[in-house]
Amino acid sequence: MSARKTIFDDQHPRVLIVEDEPVLALLLEECLIETGFEIAGVTARLEAALAMIESGVCDAAILDGNLAGVDAGPAASALRAHGIPFVVLSGYSADQLSSAFSGALRLQKPCGMDRVVRALRSILPALPPPPVIPSAGEQTPV
Amino acid sequence: MLRAIRCDEVDALVIQSSIGPQVYTLQGQDAETNRFRGEMLAQVSDAVIAVDNEERIIYLNAAAERLYGFEASRALGGTLSSIYESRWLRPEDEAVAATGLRERGEWRGESVHFRRDGREMNVDSGVTALRDSTGQRTGVLSVIRDVTERKQHENRVRNSEIRYRRLFETANDGILILDPDSRKITDANPLITRMLGYPHSKLVGSELFEIGLLKDQAASQEMIRQLSQTKQVRYENLPLRNREGGVQEVEVVAILYNQDGRPVIQCNIRDITERRRSEEHVKMLMAEVNHRAKNLLAVVQAVAYQTGKYGDPATLTARLSDRIEALAAGHDLLVKNHWQGVKVADLVEAQLAHFRDLIGERVLIEGPDARLTMAAAQGIGMALHELATNAAKHGALSNLEGTVRIAWQVTNGAKSTFTMSWLEDGGPKVVAPMGKGFGQIVIRRMAAAAVQGVAEIDFREGGLSWRLNAPVENALASTTAGSR
Repeated sequence: MSARKTIFDDQHPRVLIVEDEPVLALLLEECLIETGFEIAGVTARLEAALAMIESGVCDAAILDGNLAGVDAGPAASALRAHGIPFVVLSGYSADQLSSAFSGALRLQKPCGMDRVVRALRSILPALPPPPVIPSAGEQTPV
Repeated sequence: MLRAIRCDEVDALVIQSSIGPQVYTLQGQDAETNRFRGEMLAQVSDAVIAVDNEERIIYLNAAAERLYGFEASRALGGTLSSIYESRWLRPEDEAVAATGLRERGEWRGESVHFRRDGREMNVDSGVTALRDSTGQRTGVLSVIRDVTERKQHENRVRNSEIRYRRLFETANDGILILDPDSRKITDANPLITRMLGYPHSKLVGSELFEIGLLKDQAASQEMIRQLSQTKQVRYENLPLRNREGGVQEVEVVAILYNQDGRPVIQCNIRDITERRRSEEHVKMLMAEVNHRAKNLLAVVQAVAYQTGKYGDPATLTARLSDRIEALAAGHDLLVKNHWQGVKVADLVEAQLAHFRDLIGERVLIEGPDARLTMAAAQGIGMALHELATNAAKHGALSNLEGTVRIAWQVTNGAKSTFTMSWLEDGGPKVVAPMGKGFGQIVIRRMAAAAVQGVAEIDFREGGLSWRLNAPVENALASTTAGSR
C-alpha cells in the first residue's frame, strides 16, 4: 500500500467505483469527473475490485453492498486494511449488510448525486475547496 | 309386571288412566277377570300381542294397534306376518330365541320389525310361552317396546366416539389428555408419541415436565393453576425436548373442561418449526423485494439525471417516460424468468414492442436459443430500446421501406464469444452521427459495460450498424453458456 500515490499529488482524488448497475456506474463516473474527482476504475465484480484495491490505484471508493448476488464485504475489509476511505451505496438497509460494512458511511439507494459527492468529500481529509457542482448534479432526485 | 300378573303373584292393579285411577282385581279365571285383564293391558304403553300355536293373533292391545298401525278387528285371526315382518339383529339370535322358548318358556332381546307401511323399528321384545292349566303350551305372548329412538341415539354416540377417536389419532397436533388432580397424562395420541419418541405406555402416568414439555414441576402446577381460573392457557413458543435430547419449537394450547362431571385437561401441541421457517422466509423475501425496488428506483433516478442532462427540455417528460417503460418491460422479463436470465429473443421482442407489426417483415430477428444474465439483459435491453428509438426517428424505421436485421450468435473457440448486431438498411441517407445524448451513451457504452465487452457503432451510408462482442460467460447465464 505504500506504493500508492498520496491524495494530493494532483489535487484530484482517485475514486474506485464498485457498482453492478451499469447505468448507475456510468452516472457516478460522469458526476465524479464533473465535480473534480478522477476515476481510478469502474467494476461490477468483486475479484476485479479486490485487485484494484490491492494495486493501490485509488484514494477512495464507492462500494455497492451487493454485486449481482455476491456480498461485497471482502472489498470493504480490503479497503479498511489499506486505509482507503469508502462510501457504501446500497439498496439494502444497514442490518441487511454483512458485518464487514459496520461503521462505514452508508448511503441508501436511491440517492441523489449531490449527496454522493458530499459523502465522498466528507471521508477524504482536507481537500481543496469544492468546485461548483454542475447543474445536472444538482437536480432533485426523482 | 306382566310376568307377575301371569304368574298370579298379584291380586289387584291400580292403573292411572284418563278417567282417573282404576282398580282391577285379578282373582279368579272367570270371564269378568279376563275382561279386566284386557282393559288393564289396554292401558299399558308397551305393545302386547298374543298368538296361538299356529301364530294366529288372538289378542293385541291398543299400544300394539298404534305401534303397527293396524286395528285389532283386522288383525285378530290373522298371522303375525300380516302386521309386521321381523329381522334378527344377529343370525344366531333366531336359534337362541327358539331354544329359550322351548327350554325356559321365554326369550328377551332386540330385533328389527318392519311395519306393513315399510317403516323400520328397532324393538325390544319379551316373549313368554302361554300355557293352559294342564301346562300345555297354547301360544306365545309378546310384549314389544319401540326402542328406535334410543337405538339412534346410541348410534350417534358411537359414531361420534369413532369420529373423535379418529380425529385424535390422525390430528396434526400432538394431543395429551391430563388428569388435573394428579397432573398425570391419561392418554396421548400417536403424533405426540412420535414427536417425543416415547411409547404411549411411557407417556401415560407421566407429568408434563417428565416428558420434556414444561421445565419443572412448578411450571406444571402453574399451568394448572392458570387453567382453573381461565379454562384455557396458551404458550406461543415452548421448547419441546424429545427422548434423544433434540429440541423443537412448539405452540401449546391447554384447555380445561368437564367430561361426565370430571375435569379433564387437553393439551394440543403443535410443531411450529415449519411456521417459523416460513415466517423467516417471508421476512427475507420482503427485505429482498425492498432491496430490488430501491435498486430499480436508483436506476430510474440515474436515467432521469441523464435524460435531463441532454436533449430538448420540452421533450424531457416524453423521453423519460419512454425509457421508464423500456426499463419496466425489461423488469417484467426478469420477473417472468425468476431473475434467472432472459432469452435473447424475448428481450428483443419486448424492447421492439412498438414495432411488433414489422417483425418478420422489415424487422428480422435471428439467433440461437440463448439466455442472457440479468445484468446483460438490462444493458442490452436499454441499448435495443435506444437503437429502436433512433431508428424510428432518424433511421431505417423512419421511412416506409427500411429494414433492421437483429442477430446474435455464440462462437465457440479458445475463448467463446457472444456477438450481437443491429444492422439497418434502406433508411434515409445517414449524413451525420445521431445527436449526442444519453441514447448514444447507452448504445456505445451501456451494453458493453454490462457484459464487459466492446460495442462498435458505424454510420454507413445505407444505415446504422451496431455490433457487440463479449466473452460468452459475461453475457449468457451459465445454463445456456456455450449452447449452439
